[in-house]
Amino acid sequence: MNKVLHYAMNIGEQMLLCGADVHRVEECISRICYAFDADRIDVFIITSSMVATIYCKDGSTYTQTRRITNVDTDIEKLHLLNDLSRKICSEHLSFKEIDKEMELIQKRKKYNLFTEFVAYAIIACSFTLFFGGTVIESIVSFFVGIFCRFVALIAEKSNMSRLFSKFFCSFMSTVLVFTAIKIGIIKVADSVVIGNIMVLVPGIGITNALKDLLSGDSIAGVLRTVEAILYGLAIATGYFVVVFLFGGTFV
Amino acid sequence: MSSFEILQIFAGCVGSFGFGLLFNIRGKKLIAITLGGLFAWMVFLLLGYIINSEPIRYFIVATLVGIFSEIMARVLKTPTITFSMPCLVPLVPGSSLYYTMAYAFDSDFNKFLSKAIYTLQLAAALAIGTLLVTAVARSIKNYKKQKVR
Repeated sequence: MNKVLHYAMNIGEQMLLCGADVHRVEECISRICYAFDADRIDVFIITSSMVATIYCKDGSTYTQTRRITNVDTDIEKLHLLNDLSRKICSEHLSFKEIDKEMELIQKRKKYNLFTEFVAYAIIACSFTLFFGGTVIESIVSFFVGIFCRFVALIAEKSNMSRLFSKFFCSFMSTVLVFTAIKIGIIKVADSVVIGNIMVLVPGIGITNALKDLLSGDSIAGVLRTVEAILYGLAIATGYFVVVFLFGGTFV
Repeated sequence: MSSFEILQIFAGCVGSFGFGLLFNIRGKKLIAITLGGLFAWMVFLLLGYIINSEPIRYFIVATLVGIFSEIMARVLKTPTITFSMPCLVPLVPGSSLYYTMAYAFDSDFNKFLSKAIYTLQLAAALAIGTLLVTAVARSIKNYKKQKVR
């Protein structure tokens, strides 16, 4: 039974890591454990840690905890894990089969780095247009987006804390935007900066946080809200330090 | 509809596509997301002719996107979140968040407070809209399960 819990926790952990909501993971873990004939299962999950206790029919209990760091949204993986958990419940896969499936999920095809660069660039470029930028501004934004992903890559490689890496990205890309202004390619920074901030901004974080809060997972919701606010502040600080250095005006 | 608004619709749809790439979504799902992003902002702009209040329009669009995601999730057999998150990207209050911070650093507290509350309203409208659909869909699912038993 301890092993069942171990596998359930593994799957739950991976789900949390790719950005699942708390409710879904709790449901998934208890579903797996009940499928393997647990008497009772208590799961408590917040975004940074998970605790689960399983009560077996023979009277023994097992508890496991996990610490969660480095959440990175990856919906395709979430989809695969969800499928796997359903399969485990309906077909009672053996541990060996679960191992095999998990390995397949870890090894599956991902978009390569180049696509991520392109994704950053087109997001930045399109949102510059979206918020009323000119064509030239959006072209600048396109390159700033590429640069921004490059800076993010450096931050990842050097194991920076997430908060500081957000600050760093926002700082470096704003420096580039202001350099473009100094050279005279563009006149105002607003829409270029907003376009690039859309990639970094925790807008989805805030929406998810409210969703958690409103659906009753208050602790997870509050944690996510605080996280989103801190990220927002880090991004804003990065921008305004540059504005201060270049002696521009706010707003 | 002005030419800027049409440009906005397409820019928003490309933005949704970009986020789809970032979240590692591929194939048919990516196409559905792009279309979802396109319709989300188009409906938002069209509603502008009838309703003035932005938060209410946000709420309606979020509900519609929620329904769209539930349906697409059933059709393509994947979690709802696959569609609900990237499709709503054009509606994410990025610019008002930006101005909130700008006013905070400018120590213009009246403007900061009103902008902050406004941003919160928009985010809440989005969250409540998607949540409403999730809750209803979940109840329907549970009801059906009970019937089978």
